[in-house]
Amino acid sequence: MVWSDQEIAELSREFVAVADEVYLLYPEDPGNLARVADRPEHLFFKKFGEAMPAGDWHHPGTKQGIYMIGPDGEYLEGRFAAGSEPADIRARLERALERWQVLRKQKRYANKPVPRVESAVPPEVADARHLLVVHSRDLPRGAGDRSGARFDAARHQDGGFLGYLAWAWNENWVPLASLDGLVAAGKDWQAVPDELVATLARQALVDNVRGQANAWSAAAVRRAELRVRQGPARGKVVTFTYAGEFELVDGARSFRGTWQGEASYDRQQRRFLAFDLAATGARTGGQQFNRREQDAGPAPLGIAIGLYQPPAERR
Amino acid sequence: MFPRVWFDRIAGLLLACTAMVGGLLAQAPVRERELADRELAALLAQIRPTTDETAYRTIGWRNQFWPAVQEAQRLGRPILFWTMNGHPLGCT
Repeated sequence: MVWSDQEIAELSREFVAVADEVYLLYPEDPGNLARVADRPEHLFFKKFGEAMPAGDWHHPGTKQGIYMIGPDGEYLEGRFAAGSEPADIRARLERALERWQVLRKQKRYANKPVPRVESAVPPEVADARHLLVVHSRDLPRGAGDRSGARFDAARHQDGGFLGYLAWAWNENWVPLASLDGLVAAGKDWQAVPDELVATLARQALVDNVRGQANAWSAAAVRRAELRVRQGPARGKVVTFTYAGEFELVDGARSFRGTWQGEASYDRQQRRFLAFDLAATGARTGGQQFNRREQDAGPAPLGIAIGLYQPPAERR
Repeated sequence: MFPRVWFDRIAGLLLACTAMVGGLLAQAPVRERELADRELAALLAQIRPTTDETAYRTIGWRNQFWPAVQEAQRLGRPILFWTMNGHPLGCT
């Protein structure tokens, strides 16, 4: 990912950096476009785009891309479908900042320092009472196989976009109202409540390694079992161990495997200090946007589920 | 039934875990739970992104376009906008 380039990261901090879903801002289909046509954010982005050089603004069509914008929507730089070549993004950021130095003087912008903030989580889960962060990754398919090691390979172009076919991991978020079902009462195995296990299976055990994939339907859950028991305790902190199996099938798309995990839990404060669950197994098939057309499997997939701790709560 | 590659991977992982704790095994008995913990830790480390892979989070991304535009207008600063189908900060 270009943003992990140190020089690009440094240049990016000169801007108010924002990541957001494009479809809600500038939909491609006329019906949804009409719905947002009068919104200030759409008009702002549209004004900027129409000031871009021909070829850099993609209209009609997707507006996915990377853009550098003045505070009043002025064109600084950018391109739709950009993002795969660090040298290209670095050059665009540098040109944008050169133009900014001229623009800010012309328009007497305040040019106050940009506050350093921690990257946010997606807005739809930002207010969740409990938030699980989920990572999925292709796993090696045998000795010497590099599935799951994405960085160098992913920089190759894939039809103008980042090389998604070489993409090997992704991040996802699952909000939960309560974690109580994950607490073990004693040292004997007990079942985690079906509803909670089904939520975890349907929302977290998703193959979005290469792109968007929908959660599993309830009907796709053929088996989802998770057990928990207490392990050793030290003072007020007790450990939990998790084990289970799952089988998710929806036509040709499937994911079958096992999960295992552990957690530490403060019995006095009734809160999890750590929670780690790994689901591994064989996946098959794909969906419209997760780019498995040429990689239907079966192939090994790993999913790690952890408890997201906002910066203020980290110790 | 899992494919052969899957069993190969599990076997490889177990071998790696065994090798990691080999020195310890030579010195003292290792309880079943400790071995299981190490296997899980190795698996989680293999799946989760590395610090390099998540360096993009050091940039300080805001998660909504319009509030970020308003912040940039208050500060008098330019905006860097990264946009995709699906929120770029989480493929949900």
